[in-house]
Amino acid sequence: MSSADGAAAAIQPALIVHGGAVSAASYASDARRKAVNAAALAGWEILQGNGSALDAAEAAVRSMEDNPVLEAGTGCMLNELGQVELDAAIMHGRTLECGAVAGVANVKNPISLARKVMEKTSHCLIVGRGANVFADRQGIATVPLEELVSESALKEFRALNGNYQNGCNDFFNPRTVEEAHDTVGAVAIDKHGDMVAATSTGGNAAKLVGRVGDSPLVGVGLYSDNSTGCVSCTGHGESIIKVHLASRISMYMEEGISPDEATRKALLYMQERTGYGAGAIAMDKEGKVGINFTTKYMAWAYITEGKLQHGMLHKESFTEIA
Amino acid sequence: MPGAVVLVHGGAGKIPKANNDVDNQARLYGVKSAATAAYEALLAGASAVDAAETAVRCLEDFPVFNAGVGSRLNLAGEVEMDAAIMDGRGLRAGAVGAVKNVKNPVSLARKIMDLTPHVLLVGEGASQFAQESGVQLVPMQELITEKSRRALAQVKSLPFGIDPKAEEEEEEHGTVGAAVMDTAGNLATSISTGGISGKHVGRVGDSPIIGGGIYCDNMVGAAVATGQGESIIRTCLANNIIQLMSTGMAPQQAGDSALETMRQRVSGLAGVIVLDRHGNSGICCNTGHMSWAQLKDNELSWGLSADDRNTEEISL
Repeated sequence: MSSADGAAAAIQPALIVHGGAVSAASYASDARRKAVNAAALAGWEILQGNGSALDAAEAAVRSMEDNPVLEAGTGCMLNELGQVELDAAIMHGRTLECGAVAGVANVKNPISLARKVMEKTSHCLIVGRGANVFADRQGIATVPLEELVSESALKEFRALNGNYQNGCNDFFNPRTVEEAHDTVGAVAIDKHGDMVAATSTGGNAAKLVGRVGDSPLVGVGLYSDNSTGCVSCTGHGESIIKVHLASRISMYMEEGISPDEATRKALLYMQERTGYGAGAIAMDKEGKVGINFTTKYMAWAYITEGKLQHGMLHKESFTEIA
Repeated sequence: MPGAVVLVHGGAGKIPKANNDVDNQARLYGVKSAATAAYEALLAGASAVDAAETAVRCLEDFPVFNAGVGSRLNLAGEVEMDAAIMDGRGLRAGAVGAVKNVKNPVSLARKIMDLTPHVLLVGEGASQFAQESGVQLVPMQELITEKSRRALAQVKSLPFGIDPKAEEEEEEHGTVGAAVMDTAGNLATSISTGGISGKHVGRVGDSPIIGGGIYCDNMVGAAVATGQGESIIRTCLANNIIQLMSTGMAPQQAGDSALETMRQRVSGLAGVIVLDRHGNSGICCNTGHMSWAQLKDNELSWGLSADDRNTEEISL
């Protein structure tokens, strides 16, 4: 993927989104492609209007949270008791400031709550009941469970009947093909060169109450540093944690490796050390991009001046005029 | 084949005022006891993971440390604890965030690692799992000390409330931790904390974030941090140290370098104990104060700061 022309040129705003990296046949739907494209356009509208990477990344993720086709916010998977517990995080590359929530109940847009953690507190991560208390104080309403639960999430919950490990093996292992659902994320760069990464998820189906995956953990599910690049990951959360995937990709980029090669190398490393698959999107400070996955699918869209590129299967990339 | 090594710390903070000599002696006693208990376990054939758990359990049980008994209180006056354990073999890990009423959170982290397909459990879910897993539960009052109450009262009296750099600016001593190598050469790390006085309910710091406050990989080394949690998270301190060691840098230099990077990028201060896969250690701290103890080759070392190095031969 090409970068902006020459060091002296103005920085080209850009945004990449992903709608989860999984290996399930049912995942590969047209509705999912449309969902990520719509999210990319939502973020792009802000960048085009000279908006910040922060606003753009949040808008893109909110769009995916509100879309029941994807598994963040509305449409998220349920824990083993049939409850909704959401995780989200956002990180600003200029200051390395970040905000995250985990295990928050029934909030429509956890990414916006994560942003409040970053902007209104001196903390990086607030979990559980405390996150809901914080949401109340910030005037962020809790919605009834029914508003967030989709048909397919309920179906998944019933089918798995609490069997989390089977779900994992099916979802993330490229050798098997079953139902699967995951995280959404975005990385953005604005005209000032500020880079932001954001992730949001309801976690995996039938997870233990209080289970937190990679998404809200800075350095694990996401990372952003203006001097290096921005990264958002998706896939088998526990394995992503073990190899600190996002900061690994960031470290490779710091060594001068391109985002494409950095994501590829890190994902292979994860596969070797843990046996599980994942996906990652990354951008470096020159605007070069990396979009790779070791699961069967990852719906993604990349938008910058003049073009929208998107895909879902390996080696697939469609380009449209933006 | 390197022999057993145990390295523990009792938390990094500002140099305490002179009249806290009693506390300093208590901290030294605590870290030496914890290191000794873990080392004896290793010599008796325990695994690195067992010894790492043993060391931090000791520190959690000493009220002078900000972990388990003696944990600092959140804004609502409650004890909410974070802990984690990591096994260098296979990168296995277990962690808890904002758990209540557990006497030894590091043992709960171990149960999560050994008994569930997950790494991190938080809040109510962590407490529920604690009940099911059989770890010892205690009334919250048993974990609260007069010192913790006073520390909270002090924070509440500040005009703007909690300061993000509080953990190393006030007389707060943070997270406890251990890095261990067993007689087979396996590495393990453990970490536990009550967090910052007056933190928001549900605030989780760096301790249960794998790659932030803790990391361990048999192929490279181990690192455990203490200090300003948000700064550690934002700069992925443990990851950075492991990365530097993977390029061949010695543990002491890797720790010092990573701490300096953190200080430059986000103005945060911290301490960290480091082991490489050959059993070489690093004791690093730029906050001014960190109680620590190391046992290696029947030699016990200890100090109240990274520069304070005392040694004695022991026979076990």
